[in-house]
Amino acid sequence: MRVRLRYFAALRERMGTGDDRMLGAGTTVGALWDMLVAEHPDIGAVPVRFAVNERYVEPSHRLSDGDEIAFFPPVSGGG
Amino acid sequence: MFAITDRSIDVQALLDAVRDPAAGAVVFFLGTTRNQNAGRRVVRLEYEAFARMAEREMRALAAAARRQWPLRKVAMAHRTGVVPVGEASVGIAVASGHRAEAFAACHWLIDRLKEIVPIWKKEHFRGGAVWIGAQQGGPEPTRRRASRRRTRRTRNR
Repeated sequence: MRVRLRYFAALRERMGTGDDRMLGAGTTVGALWDMLVAEHPDIGAVPVRFAVNERYVEPSHRLSDGDEIAFFPPVSGGG
Repeated sequence: MFAITDRSIDVQALLDAVRDPAAGAVVFFLGTTRNQNAGRRVVRLEYEAFARMAEREMRALAAAARRQWPLRKVAMAHRTGVVPVGEASVGIAVASGHRAEAFAACHWLIDRLKEIVPIWKKEHFRGGAVWIGAQQGGPEPTRRRASRRRTRRTRNR
Protein backbone atom coordinates (compact mmCIF):
# COMPACT_ATOMS: atom_id res chain seq x y z
CA MET A 1 0.00 0.00 0.00
CA ARG A 2 1.06 3.57 -0.58
CA VAL A 3 0.96 6.19 2.16
CA ARG A 4 2.02 9.82 2.36
CA LEU A 5 4.39 11.05 5.07
CA ARG A 6 4.47 14.63 6.38
CA TYR A 7 6.95 16.19 8.78
CA PHE A 8 6.75 19.39 10.78
CA ALA A 9 9.03 21.86 12.57
CA ALA A 10 12.37 20.35 13.64
CA LEU A 11 11.50 17.08 11.89
CA ARG A 12 10.71 18.92 8.66
CA GLU A 13 14.08 20.67 8.77
CA ARG A 14 15.76 17.28 9.15
CA MET A 15 13.59 15.13 6.82
CA GLY A 16 11.98 17.52 4.33
CA THR A 17 8.26 18.14 4.07
CA GLY A 18 7.57 14.47 3.31
CA ASP A 19 7.08 11.95 0.53
CA ASP A 20 5.17 8.84 -0.47
CA ARG A 21 6.18 5.43 0.77
CA MET A 22 5.21 1.83 0.04
CA LEU A 23 4.40 -0.30 3.09
CA GLY A 24 3.23 -3.84 3.79
CA ALA A 25 -0.49 -4.18 4.51
CA GLY A 26 -1.39 -3.66 8.16
CA THR A 27 1.77 -1.80 9.13
CA THR A 28 1.23 0.22 12.32
CA VAL A 29 2.21 3.85 12.76
CA GLY A 30 4.68 2.84 15.46
CA ALA A 31 6.34 0.28 13.19
CA LEU A 32 6.62 2.90 10.43
CA TRP A 33 8.28 5.32 12.88
CA ASP A 34 10.70 2.58 13.97
CA MET A 35 11.66 2.09 10.30
CA LEU A 36 12.28 5.82 9.90
CA VAL A 37 14.39 5.95 13.06
CA ALA A 38 16.41 2.96 11.84
CA GLU A 39 17.13 4.91 8.64
CA HIS A 40 17.79 8.22 10.44
CA PRO A 41 18.86 7.39 14.03
CA ASP A 42 19.17 11.03 15.13
CA ILE A 43 15.43 11.67 14.76
CA GLY A 44 14.73 9.18 17.55
CA ALA A 45 16.07 11.61 20.16
CA VAL A 46 12.93 13.77 20.17
CA PRO A 47 9.53 12.51 21.37
CA VAL A 48 7.04 12.33 18.51
CA ARG A 49 3.26 12.18 18.14
CA PHE A 50 1.37 10.78 15.18
CA ALA A 51 -1.67 11.96 13.27
CA VAL A 52 -3.35 9.97 10.52
CA ASN A 53 -5.60 11.90 8.16
CA GLU A 54 -5.43 14.88 10.54
CA ARG A 55 -6.42 13.00 13.70
CA TYR A 56 -4.14 11.99 16.56
CA VAL A 57 -3.58 8.22 16.77
CA GLU A 58 -1.68 5.83 19.02
CA PRO A 59 1.41 3.98 17.77
CA SER A 60 -0.69 0.79 17.51
CA HIS A 61 -2.92 2.36 14.83
CA ARG A 62 -2.93 0.24 11.64
CA LEU A 63 -2.42 2.14 8.42
CA SER A 64 -4.51 1.86 5.27
CA ASP A 65 -3.73 2.55 1.63
CA GLY A 66 -3.83 6.28 0.90
CA ASP A 67 -3.39 7.40 4.51
CA GLU A 68 -1.54 10.61 5.25
CA ILE A 69 0.69 10.23 8.32
CA ALA A 70 1.95 13.37 10.05
CA PHE A 71 4.88 13.25 12.48
CA PHE A 72 4.88 15.93 15.15
CA PRO A 73 7.66 17.00 17.49
CA PRO A 74 6.27 18.37 20.80
CA VAL A 75 3.86 21.18 19.95
CA SER A 76 4.62 24.68 21.24
CA GLY A 77 1.95 27.09 20.05
CA GLY A 78 0.72 30.04 22.08
CA GLY A 79 2.37 33.29 23.08
CA MET B 1 -14.19 31.80 14.00
CA PHE B 2 -11.31 29.36 14.25
CA ALA B 3 -8.40 30.48 12.15
CA ILE B 4 -4.77 29.87 11.39
CA THR B 5 -3.54 33.04 9.69
CA ASP B 6 -0.26 34.42 8.43
CA ARG B 7 -1.45 37.95 9.17
CA SER B 8 -1.75 39.96 12.36
CA ILE B 9 -4.32 38.66 14.86
CA ASP B 10 -7.52 40.60 14.19
CA VAL B 11 -8.68 41.39 17.71
CA GLN B 12 -11.87 43.11 16.60
CA ALA B 13 -12.85 40.19 14.36
CA LEU B 14 -12.48 37.79 17.30
CA LEU B 15 -14.57 40.04 19.53
CA ASP B 16 -17.21 40.42 16.83
CA ALA B 17 -17.31 36.63 16.41
CA VAL B 18 -18.40 36.12 20.04
CA ARG B 19 -20.90 38.98 20.18
CA ASP B 20 -24.08 37.57 21.71
CA PRO B 21 -27.06 39.36 23.29
CA ALA B 22 -27.28 36.68 26.00
CA ALA B 23 -23.65 37.20 27.06
CA GLY B 24 -22.86 39.24 30.15
CA ALA B 25 -19.09 38.76 29.88
CA VAL B 26 -16.43 38.45 27.20
CA VAL B 27 -12.96 37.33 28.29
CA PHE B 28 -10.19 37.84 25.77
CA PHE B 29 -6.71 36.34 25.93
CA LEU B 30 -3.91 37.64 23.74
CA GLY B 31 -0.58 35.82 23.70
CA THR B 32 2.26 38.12 22.66
CA THR B 33 5.91 37.53 21.87
CA ARG B 34 8.29 38.33 24.72
CA ASN B 35 11.67 39.94 24.11
CA GLN B 36 13.47 37.41 26.31
CA ASN B 37 13.15 33.75 27.21
CA ALA B 38 15.30 31.52 29.42
CA GLY B 39 17.94 34.23 29.64
CA ARG B 40 18.12 34.69 25.88
CA ARG B 41 17.42 37.95 24.08
CA VAL B 42 14.66 36.99 21.61
CA VAL B 43 14.86 38.70 18.23
CA ARG B 44 11.71 37.21 16.72
CA LEU B 45 9.48 34.14 16.86
CA GLU B 46 8.41 32.02 13.95
CA TYR B 47 5.38 29.73 14.03
CA GLU B 48 4.56 26.75 11.85
CA ALA B 49 1.19 24.98 11.86
CA PHE B 50 -0.49 21.96 10.33
CA ALA B 51 -3.22 24.42 9.47
CA ARG B 52 -6.24 22.24 8.66
CA MET B 53 -5.69 19.96 11.63
CA ALA B 54 -4.92 22.92 13.91
CA GLU B 55 -8.25 24.54 13.01
CA ARG B 56 -10.04 21.25 13.61
CA GLU B 57 -8.34 20.82 16.99
CA MET B 58 -9.25 24.36 18.01
CA ARG B 59 -12.89 23.65 17.13
CA ALA B 60 -12.73 20.43 19.15
CA LEU B 61 -11.30 22.31 22.14
CA ALA B 62 -14.09 24.88 21.93
CA ALA B 63 -16.68 22.08 21.82
CA ALA B 64 -15.04 20.46 24.86
CA ALA B 65 -15.08 23.80 26.72
CA ARG B 66 -18.77 24.21 25.97
CA ARG B 67 -19.44 20.82 27.53
CA GLN B 68 -17.68 21.93 30.73
CA TRP B 69 -19.04 25.46 31.07
CA PRO B 70 -22.27 27.18 29.95
CA LEU B 71 -20.66 29.34 27.26
CA ARG B 72 -22.34 31.41 24.57
CA LYS B 73 -19.56 31.65 21.97
CA VAL B 74 -15.86 30.91 21.47
CA ALA B 75 -13.43 32.20 18.83
CA MET B 76 -9.74 31.38 18.42
CA ALA B 77 -7.00 32.49 16.03
CA HIS B 78 -3.30 31.67 15.83
CA ARG B 79 -0.74 33.40 13.66
CA THR B 80 1.95 31.60 11.65
CA GLY B 81 5.17 32.78 10.07
CA VAL B 82 7.43 35.40 11.60
CA VAL B 83 5.92 37.30 14.53
CA PRO B 84 8.03 40.28 15.65
CA VAL B 85 8.60 40.89 19.37
CA GLY B 86 5.60 42.59 20.99
CA GLU B 87 3.02 41.35 18.48
CA ALA B 88 0.29 38.80 19.13
CA SER B 89 0.65 35.16 18.15
CA VAL B 90 -2.66 33.87 19.53
CA GLY B 91 -6.05 35.30 20.47
CA ILE B 92 -8.94 33.60 22.26
CA ALA B 93 -12.35 35.17 22.95
CA VAL B 94 -14.98 33.55 25.16
CA ALA B 95 -18.48 34.90 25.78
CA SER B 96 -20.75 33.62 28.54
CA GLY B 97 -23.71 34.69 30.62
CA HIS B 98 -21.50 35.46 33.62
CA ARG B 99 -17.80 36.18 33.95
CA ALA B 100 -16.64 33.22 36.07
CA GLU B 101 -17.16 30.61 33.35
CA ALA B 102 -15.67 32.84 30.65
CA PHE B 103 -12.48 33.34 32.71
CA ALA B 104 -12.23 29.63 33.51
CA ALA B 105 -12.88 28.48 29.95
CA CYS B 106 -10.46 30.98 28.40
CA HIS B 107 -7.69 29.88 30.79
CA TRP B 108 -8.38 26.22 30.03
CA LEU B 109 -8.46 26.84 26.27
CA ILE B 110 -5.03 28.49 26.08
CA ASP B 111 -3.49 25.79 28.28
CA ARG B 112 -4.95 23.01 26.13
CA LEU B 113 -4.05 24.79 22.88
CA LYS B 114 -0.41 24.79 23.96
CA GLU B 115 -0.60 21.05 24.70
CA ILE B 116 -2.35 19.60 21.67
CA VAL B 117 -2.93 21.97 18.75
CA PRO B 118 -0.31 21.21 16.05
CA ILE B 119 1.59 24.49 16.05
CA TRP B 120 5.32 24.91 16.62
CA LYS B 121 7.36 27.89 17.75
CA LYS B 122 10.91 28.59 16.64
CA GLU B 123 12.72 31.11 18.77
CA HIS B 124 15.35 33.22 17.05
CA PHE B 125 17.73 34.80 19.54
CA ARG B 126 21.13 36.44 19.39
CA GLY B 127 23.47 33.69 18.31
CA GLY B 128 21.03 31.03 17.17
CA ALA B 129 17.56 29.59 16.87
CA VAL B 130 15.75 26.70 18.51
CA TRP B 131 12.42 24.92 18.14
CA ILE B 132 10.70 25.23 21.51
CA GLY B 133 9.72 21.88 22.96
CA ALA B 134 12.01 19.83 20.71
CA GLN B 135 15.44 20.57 22.12
CA GLN B 136 16.11 17.10 23.50
CA GLY B 137 19.18 15.83 21.73
CA GLY B 138 20.04 19.33 20.55
CA PRO B 139 23.67 20.11 19.81
CA GLU B 140 24.45 22.62 22.53
CA PRO B 141 24.34 21.75 26.26
CA THR B 142 23.53 25.29 27.42
CA ARG B 143 20.53 25.36 25.14
CA ARG B 144 19.22 22.09 26.55
CA ARG B 145 19.47 23.37 30.11
CA ALA B 146 17.71 26.57 29.16
CA SER B 147 14.91 24.65 27.46
CA ARG B 148 14.29 22.46 30.49
CA ARG B 149 13.93 25.50 32.71
CA ARG B 150 11.44 26.92 30.30
CA THR B 151 9.45 23.69 30.11
CA ARG B 152 9.07 23.57 33.89
CA ARG B 153 7.91 27.15 34.01
CA THR B 154 5.37 26.51 31.28
CA ARG B 155 3.95 23.53 33.16
CA ASN B 156 3.59 25.54 36.34
CA ARG B 157 1.58 28.31 34.72
